[in-house]
Amino acid sequence: MARTEAIALPRERQGAAWWRTNATALLFMGPAMVLVLVFFLAPVVITFVMSFTDLATSTGLSNWQWIGSANYERMFRSQFWFTILGNTLVYVAIVLAFNVLVGLGVALLSLHVEPKAGGVFRALWLLPRISPSVVYALMWTWAAASPPFGMLNYIVAPFGLEPRFWLQSDPWLIVILINGFVGASFGMLILTSAIKAIPEDLFRAARVDGANALQIVRRITLPLVKWPILFVLVYQTMSLFASYEYILLTTNGGPGLYGTETWSLWAFHTALANYYGNLDFAYGAAMSAILVLLGLGISIVLLRVFRFGQLVAEPRVEVD
Amino acid sequence: MSKRTAPERTEVGYRLSRRRFLVTSGALVAAAACTTTPVRAPSGGVTEGTVKLTAWTIGPDAPSYYRRDNLISAAETLNKKLAGKPTVEIDATFESGGQWGDYLQKFTLAAEAKTSPDVILAGHENLAPWVGPSYIVPLDDLIAKYQSEGGIKDVIPTLWSAMKLKGKTYGVPQDTEARPMYYRKDLLAKMGWSKDKIDGLPEAVKKGEWAWPDFVATAKDAIAKGVVGPGKGWYSRPSKGADIYMFYYQNGGEMQDTATAKLVIVKDALLKHFQIHADAVRNDKIMTQSIYGMDAGKEWHPTVTDGKVLFYNAGSWTWKDWQATYKVPEQSLWDNVGFMLIPAAQRGGKPVTVSHPLAYAVTSNAKDKDLAFRLIANATTPELNSRHSVTSAHLAVLTTQKDDPTYKQDKFLLATQYMLDYTKFIPNHAKFGVYDDVLYRFLGAVEQGQSTPAQAVESAVKELQGQLGDELIVK
Repeated sequence: MARTEAIALPRERQGAAWWRTNATALLFMGPAMVLVLVFFLAPVVITFVMSFTDLATSTGLSNWQWIGSANYERMFRSQFWFTILGNTLVYVAIVLAFNVLVGLGVALLSLHVEPKAGGVFRALWLLPRISPSVVYALMWTWAAASPPFGMLNYIVAPFGLEPRFWLQSDPWLIVILINGFVGASFGMLILTSAIKAIPEDLFRAARVDGANALQIVRRITLPLVKWPILFVLVYQTMSLFASYEYILLTTNGGPGLYGTETWSLWAFHTALANYYGNLDFAYGAAMSAILVLLGLGISIVLLRVFRFGQLVAEPRVEVD
Repeated sequence: MSKRTAPERTEVGYRLSRRRFLVTSGALVAAAACTTTPVRAPSGGVTEGTVKLTAWTIGPDAPSYYRRDNLISAAETLNKKLAGKPTVEIDATFESGGQWGDYLQKFTLAAEAKTSPDVILAGHENLAPWVGPSYIVPLDDLIAKYQSEGGIKDVIPTLWSAMKLKGKTYGVPQDTEARPMYYRKDLLAKMGWSKDKIDGLPEAVKKGEWAWPDFVATAKDAIAKGVVGPGKGWYSRPSKGADIYMFYYQNGGEMQDTATAKLVIVKDALLKHFQIHADAVRNDKIMTQSIYGMDAGKEWHPTVTDGKVLFYNAGSWTWKDWQATYKVPEQSLWDNVGFMLIPAAQRGGKPVTVSHPLAYAVTSNAKDKDLAFRLIANATTPELNSRHSVTSAHLAVLTTQKDDPTYKQDKFLLATQYMLDYTKFIPNHAKFGVYDDVLYRFLGAVEQGQSTPAQAVESAVKELQGQLGDELIVK
C-alpha cells in the first residue's frame, strides 16, 4: 500500500524520498566508489585514450598528436607479439598450477603435523613473500649465476648435472620457481585458514567412521575448501597477468629474442624502461590496453566457469 | 547436529542514525583540518639575493663524482664574479652505481611534473628525445653571450657537433672517453710473446697490421695452450651500451644519415657484426655463452681483474674503476694490462672505438637560465675537467687540457688520447632506443644460437622497418 502511495508522489518529492532511502548507503559506499573510479576505472580509460596518441618522451605532454590505431598496427607488425602472447599464457598457466597445488600441499601437510612444527613450517614458506622483491630476486640471480658461481650449481653437482648459467640455459625454470614460491605462500595462507575453519566435528566423525587421512582430505577437506581454492585461482590468474617484477629482475625478458618476455613486461619495457631514455608511453599504453582486454575476457570466463555468483552469495543455511 | 536458519538480520541491529553519522563525519573532517601540517617557514630555499640552482649528475662509475663536485666548485667561482648580485646556492646530486635507464626516466617524469633540476648531466644521445617536449633549452645564444666564461671557447670542435640537433646546440661537453680493447700482458708472455711484441701491439693495431683474424687466432691459441680457460679468450660488454656498435662500425656500419638525420642500417656490416659474435661464442668458442646477461659487478669485472681473460673491451673509465672499486693497484694494471683500439676487420683496415660524450644541459625548468649556463661554463675549465679526467679516466673535452699540469701527469690519459682520432659516435635521434633494443636482442639471439647471423639480419631489418618506418634508411 505504501509503495503505491510513493509512486503517486510528485517528481520532486519522489527524488527526496529516494534520497532519504539511499543517502546513508551512498555515504557509506561513496569513498569506495570514488576509489574505484579514480584508481581502477580512470587508469583504464586513460590507457585506452593514450593508446591512440603518439605520446612519448620525445613529444612530452605538450607536443603529442592523435594517431588513430597506428600503435596497434605497429604492435601487430612486430614479429614477436605472438611469441610474447604465448610466453604470457604459458607463464600464467604453469605458475598458477604451481601456486595452487603447492599452496594446497603445504597447507595440508602443515596442518597434519604437530601444531608448533606446522606453524614454523608455514612461517618458513612465508619468507619469499615477506622478503622485499628486489632482495628475493637478487638472491635468485646469485643462486642461478654462471659457473663457477651459483648455489644451484653446487646443489646439482652431486647428481652428476653439468654446472650451467641457469638464467640462460633454463630461464623458464627460474622464472616459474621464483614466482611460484611467492604465489604458493599466498595460497597456503588462504587455504590454511579455510581448512582450519572446517568444524573439527566433521573430522572426528570421519575418523570414528574409519576414514584414513587421504580419505578425509578427499571427502571432507577438499569439498569444503572448494571456494577458497577458486578464489586463489581467480585472484592469482589476474595477478600473474599483470606481474612482471621478478622476470624483470632476473632474466629481464631474455635471453635473446624475448625468451621470457611476458605481455606486461613488454609494456613496461616500452613505456617505462628505455636504455636511451625515449619512453614510448602511448605504444606501451596500447600494449596495456590489449592486456586489459585479455584480463577482462579471462575474468569473465573464470567467473562464469566457477559460478562467482554462488561464491559470494550469502549462506542460506549455517551449520552450528 | 541441529540445523537452524540464520538469524534474520534487522536493520536496527547495526543502523547508525543519519544525523549521528553526519555529525561524526563533520567532526572528523574538522579535526583533520585542524591537524594539517603547518605551513613551513622558508628554509634553505630561494631567499632575497640568493638563487638556488639544482643539478643532477650520474656516474654510474663511482670515480666520476667530479661531475657533481665541479659544479659545486663552479658555483664558488661564479659567486666571486657575481659579488653577491645575486648569490648562487648549488644543490647538486651524484648517482653512483645506478642505471642510466632509471636516471633518465626519473628526469623525464620530473620534467613533466615541472620539478626537474636546473642542470642535468646526460649522454649526448639522450638530449634528442628531450628536445621535442622542450625539457632542455638550446644554448647557442648563451654560448655566444658567455663565450669568454670558463673554458667554453676551448671545447674540442668535434664534441660540439655531438651536442647538436637540427642545427641547435643543447649541451656543453662534460667529458668523453674511448672504449679500448684491453689485453693481459702477462698472459701473452705466457704464450711466448716477446716483451717488444706485447708492448708494440697497440701500434700494430693502430696501423692495421694486426687485425681481427689475428685477434681471434690469438684468443684461440691462448685457450688451446691452457693459458686461459674455455670461453675466456674475449669478454665483450655483458649488457646494453654503446660498445656493441664498435664491431658494427669496424665492419663498415653507419648509424645516422648526415643529410637527413635518419637512422641507418647497413645490412652487410650488420651481418659481419653478428657473425663475429656468433663465431666467438659458438664456433671458435673464445667467448663464453654466459656473457649475455652476465652480472658485471659480481662476475665480469672480478673475472677480468683476476687476470683470467685474455682480451676484454671496456671503457677507458674502467681503468680507474678497477682501482677504486675492485682494488687493483695501479702499478699492477700497468704491469699486466695493455690497451689498444678495436682491431680492424682485416689487415690494412682502420681500427675503431666509440665515444660517448656526456653533457651538461640547461633545463626549461631552470629559474635563471643565464645563471645555470654560467654555472656550467665555470665548471668547464682545464683545471676542473682535468681533475675529473684524472680521477675517473675520462678524456679531455678542452683543447687546453693537454697543457694542464694535472692532465699532463696522467700516463693513461696521454696514452689513450690518440684513440679519439679513430672514434665514432652513436646517433642523436629520438628513436635510437628502439633501434638499439632490436639490435641488442638479435645480438643475444645469435650468441645463444636462436638464430643464424643471416636470419638475424633479415629479421632485424624487418623488425626495424616495422618499428621505425620512414625514420630508417636500409643500405
